[in-house]
Amino acid sequence: MGFHIVKRENCPWWQRLILYVAAVLIALGLGAVVLLFMGVDPIEYYYQMFTMGTVGNRIAYKTFMNYLKEFVPLALTATALSLAFKMRFWNIGGEGQFIMGSIAAAFVVFRFGPVLPMWLTLVLMCLAAMLVAGLYGSIAGVLKVKFGTNETLLTLMLNYVALYVLNFIGETKADWNFFLQEQSARPVFKNFSSIAAFPQFALGGKFQLNLCVILTFAVGALVFIYLKYTKQGYEVSVVGDSLGSARYAGMKTGWVILRTVFLSAALIGLAAAFKVGTAGVLSTSITDDVGWTGITVAWLAQLYTPMIFLVSALICVLQHGSMVAAATFSQVDSSFANMLQGAILFLVLAADFYTRFRLARVKKGEKKNG
Amino acid sequence: MDKLSIITSFIHSIIVMNIPLLYGTVGEILVEKSGSLNLGVEGTMAVGAVIGYICGCWANSLGVGILTAFVMGALCGLIFAVLTVSLQANQNITGLTLTTFGLGVYFFVGNALRSAKAFPTMNDYDSIRAGFEDIPIPLLSKIPVIGPGLFSHNILVYLGIAIAVLVWWYLKHTSPGLRLRSIGENPAAADSVGISVNRNKYLHICLGCGIMGIGGYYMSLYMSGSFNSNCWINGYGWIAVALVIFANWNPALAIVGTFVFGFFNTLRVSGPSLAVAFPGALGWLAGIPTQLYQALPFIITAIVLVVTSLRGNKFSSGLPAALGLNYFREER
Amino acid sequence: MAQYAIETRGLTKTFGSVVANSGIDLNVKEGEILALLGENGSGKTTLMNMLSGIYKPDSGSILVNGEEVSINSPEDAKKLGIGMVHQHFKLVDTFSAADNIWMGKEKAGLTLKKKRYGEIAEIAEKFGFELDPKKKVCHMAVSEKQTLEIVKVLYYGAKIIILDEPTAVLTVQEIRRLFNVLRRMKEEGHAIIIITHKLNEVMEISDRVTILRKGEYITTVDTAGTSEKELTEWMVGRKIDLNIRRPLVEKTRPLLEVRDLVIENDEGSVAVDGVSFYIRGGEILGVAGIAGCGQKELCEAIAGLRPLKSGQMVHKGDNIAGLPPKAILEKGIAMSFIPEDRLGIGLAPSMSITDNMLLKKYRDARGPFVDRKEGRRDAQSVIADLSVVTPSTETPVRRLSGGNVQKVLVGREIKAGPNVIVTAYPVRGLDINSSYAIYDILNVQKEKGVGILFVGEDLDVMMALCDKILVLCHGRVMGVVHAHKTTKEELGLMMTGSLDLTEKYEGKPAGIAKDSLIDEQEGKEA
Repeated sequence: MGFHIVKRENCPWWQRLILYVAAVLIALGLGAVVLLFMGVDPIEYYYQMFTMGTVGNRIAYKTFMNYLKEFVPLALTATALSLAFKMRFWNIGGEGQFIMGSIAAAFVVFRFGPVLPMWLTLVLMCLAAMLVAGLYGSIAGVLKVKFGTNETLLTLMLNYVALYVLNFIGETKADWNFFLQEQSARPVFKNFSSIAAFPQFALGGKFQLNLCVILTFAVGALVFIYLKYTKQGYEVSVVGDSLGSARYAGMKTGWVILRTVFLSAALIGLAAAFKVGTAGVLSTSITDDVGWTGITVAWLAQLYTPMIFLVSALICVLQHGSMVAAATFSQVDSSFANMLQGAILFLVLAADFYTRFRLARVKKGEKKNG
Repeated sequence: MDKLSIITSFIHSIIVMNIPLLYGTVGEILVEKSGSLNLGVEGTMAVGAVIGYICGCWANSLGVGILTAFVMGALCGLIFAVLTVSLQANQNITGLTLTTFGLGVYFFVGNALRSAKAFPTMNDYDSIRAGFEDIPIPLLSKIPVIGPGLFSHNILVYLGIAIAVLVWWYLKHTSPGLRLRSIGENPAAADSVGISVNRNKYLHICLGCGIMGIGGYYMSLYMSGSFNSNCWINGYGWIAVALVIFANWNPALAIVGTFVFGFFNTLRVSGPSLAVAFPGALGWLAGIPTQLYQALPFIITAIVLVVTSLRGNKFSSGLPAALGLNYFREER
Repeated sequence: MAQYAIETRGLTKTFGSVVANSGIDLNVKEGEILALLGENGSGKTTLMNMLSGIYKPDSGSILVNGEEVSINSPEDAKKLGIGMVHQHFKLVDTFSAADNIWMGKEKAGLTLKKKRYGEIAEIAEKFGFELDPKKKVCHMAVSEKQTLEIVKVLYYGAKIIILDEPTAVLTVQEIRRLFNVLRRMKEEGHAIIIITHKLNEVMEISDRVTILRKGEYITTVDTAGTSEKELTEWMVGRKIDLNIRRPLVEKTRPLLEVRDLVIENDEGSVAVDGVSFYIRGGEILGVAGIAGCGQKELCEAIAGLRPLKSGQMVHKGDNIAGLPPKAILEKGIAMSFIPEDRLGIGLAPSMSITDNMLLKKYRDARGPFVDRKEGRRDAQSVIADLSVVTPSTETPVRRLSGGNVQKVLVGREIKAGPNVIVTAYPVRGLDINSSYAIYDILNVQKEKGVGILFVGEDLDVMMALCDKILVLCHGRVMGVVHAHKTTKEELGLMMTGSLDLTEKYEGKPAGIAKDSLIDEQEGKEA
């Protein structure tokens, strides 16, 4: 073996870019082999996927609007998770917090929507979702602070508890259950898009920009400023880096952890409210896995907020595009996107290695100055 | 149906429905004892399930199925090992990606074969069907009521329990097991006495994931190969991750844990029939929502997590100290 | 020509842009003890890590018994008979002593048998060590762990034994015992390399000394033909003043007074037992004691990080017992504790020097934002004043070498303009130059009228630097002595508990000031 691994201090941004682009291209190449095997022209398939079928399509604006509906929850969830991750609090309970937030949002709509003005319903919806999701996330936070309970495993468990709570609501026909349609004999979630839906603004043509999109970018900017410039953001970094030093500096570390975990989970709740308020109906798969994907996005973006938005946008292209492409190429199942996404991530993780380490040649027997 | 036979079939179900949990858990224990937290159990089991099933049917051989599932699981482990051991990638992210990827492969392969009308039906393969039949243990299976429930099972049940016992013995009573544990506790210490950290990690990650793959294959047979939009694994991989904690990283306790979790899982299905058979004693079972049974393993594990952290006695815990941390020798 | 047990030729190793070792030549014969001497960051540990297979050299060669070898892993080193006792022990906490050795045994057989305990105990005894094979490492004292490490290395049949700063964590008695062991191993024909900072130890134990400076090989000399002074010159490259300054400053009334303090450690047993002392402005009070005699708990309690069981703590006449850390900081009490890993308390390693400067004062900025400009100014002035070596103010502290990290820490504490400085082991692991820089900083503060509590390990330094020395033994005060009047022997006896000077002066118990503000207060109340 003439090589060994050496840590590298810094990697210029262009090298990084080349590595990541190469990783994505290799993954797409592997995908192309699979597509060829299925008898599908990979170039046409990828063209459909990456343009999301918008080129030459008269209803392209609709595709964009649907695309943004997927983008908003993912970007916001990943941003929220980055807050906790910055503190080295491994909140992988995004799924559960999202679910709890959406239940709370729907609760507000069904209970107060019919009697309140819509704007007030929407505000209450967001606040309730944030509060409930925040509290749900805080369970792990409190136990971590009090007893040092492992938050990774605990939040993982709480995801499933939340999921089955949602399933229970969605599958139980009963008098108290106002979440379901009264008319249907089978349990079906009731649609509420007429009671509460986020306003949209026409931006020339038929494209309508949803308020949630604007708010998401605003929250992203706030989180960026919060982490980078504020005292509270500074505290988050110190607590994440060295708990002992944080205590020594007179920070109330328990309070900082709780505050940050609550904020992180509450923002996931906000993402849930946005999702519910645009979908107009609950479903047992309301999360679209953003709690999971968000973890990966936050990590790939190295917790840097602008990158989180960029990576979210790309992942959504992949997911939304493959659905569009599946409509054209019926022999390729839409699960191809998951496979492709997995392959891309594997290769990006591998590429990441070369940004942090390099292979060095070992020169043997070479003497210095005799 | 006769009341006693309902009890017998309930006991039988606890075992046959939940043995994949044991495979998943024991596999994950091996992986975690090497210091790697693999959150890709669900994906690994799914890949082992679908490819094991298809190859097993095509060869009309249970053995080929088991072997293929093991190899496919081990390949998933290999991906995980290359990324986290050699390329120092974050274990949580790699594991979650493995699950996404594995479920993608599962549905992609399954749906492709289904739309080509080439997905095998288990009933067409007599040797597979026969291989999955129960084999009663002489004498013990003759005990009334509990005998046929506890001691008459298919070969994969026996294999699963045998693997669990073997892994328990390996970890606790052998020198290679001691070396493996030392890596999970303190890889730098293990390295400094000449134990090859990377080779051991690779070996045990692949072995553990291979065992998970067999668990997936079991699931395909238990579901009689009926492929639809619900994955065969259906969350068993995640319960296995929970069960590892519940079992305190001990494969022998994992057998007990499997049946504790399995008990609730089986009540979900058998609860109504038990309620009908014993309206006096068990009538209340009918009123319990099935989702509670599904959530119980996770609630119990969460409580176990909190209670163990309450005790705060980290040395009685089986949690490997270096779990989730990558090892790089030249770290300064 | 006698053959060398191990020899290196032109060994070079770089980490990124830092050259840790450049063209190092070193050799040891069988039955010889070589001391490896050098300042911090001179690359001693890096060199030894290359011999033991942890690091791979970039170039150069290693010869064992005259044959060139390639060491790619600790496994290779072990096969070549090279064993290293690391500064930070490489042991599995949850394993028994026997299993820690057994796990690296080749041909250990498939199953673990009970008789391995007996075998390990026997081996330990053969080498002349006491070792309980069934005791778990997490229950062991530091010296026991070191014994285990040495037995482990011997058990694997090492002929070349490397010890990285083995005396840093030991008491005087334990060091003596260790040196006896080393001498015996030398007689048995082992080749031994020992890394240490302490010149007196070099003179006592070694046959030859190899000196490194800034990653480069300087020279190798016979110990018998050299002196501490000469070694120091080789090490630092120029003559330095071995005397530590002790300026005389007019003392003020007691700044910090502590009376009958009782503090528990993490395990809930009493760590500090009825301790009383006071610090005046313009004096340095030394605290001497064997490691782990309550020093850490005392420092933490003063900083408000650990609750008091009972006792009084008064600052300028105000009670500060039970106040949170933040309130104590605001009183002007600064605490810097340098733990064994150096980065534990006081710094955020992944954050920049600028951000670390702000650690205790980020709240002072008005509004919700952190004032980084201020932090950058502080960082620049600390870098300039204490000659910290760093690429920029934005470099993460983790990337700096040990001495520079400590300078950043101490520099920040002083920048805050405290009136009491509590500093524990501020020169721990530092080379001579950096140590003197720190002593100077403390003296300058003292001249400004700051009261300083100096928890130290090196008695010579404390006798030269401090005004008075308080001696602790198992959490109890054994007396307070004037530094210029006492002797090392006296201090040593007090540290081991054989001499109690608390009642030396009649009518004036040790640690209670004549003009105490506590008594004044109580007098008023009465």
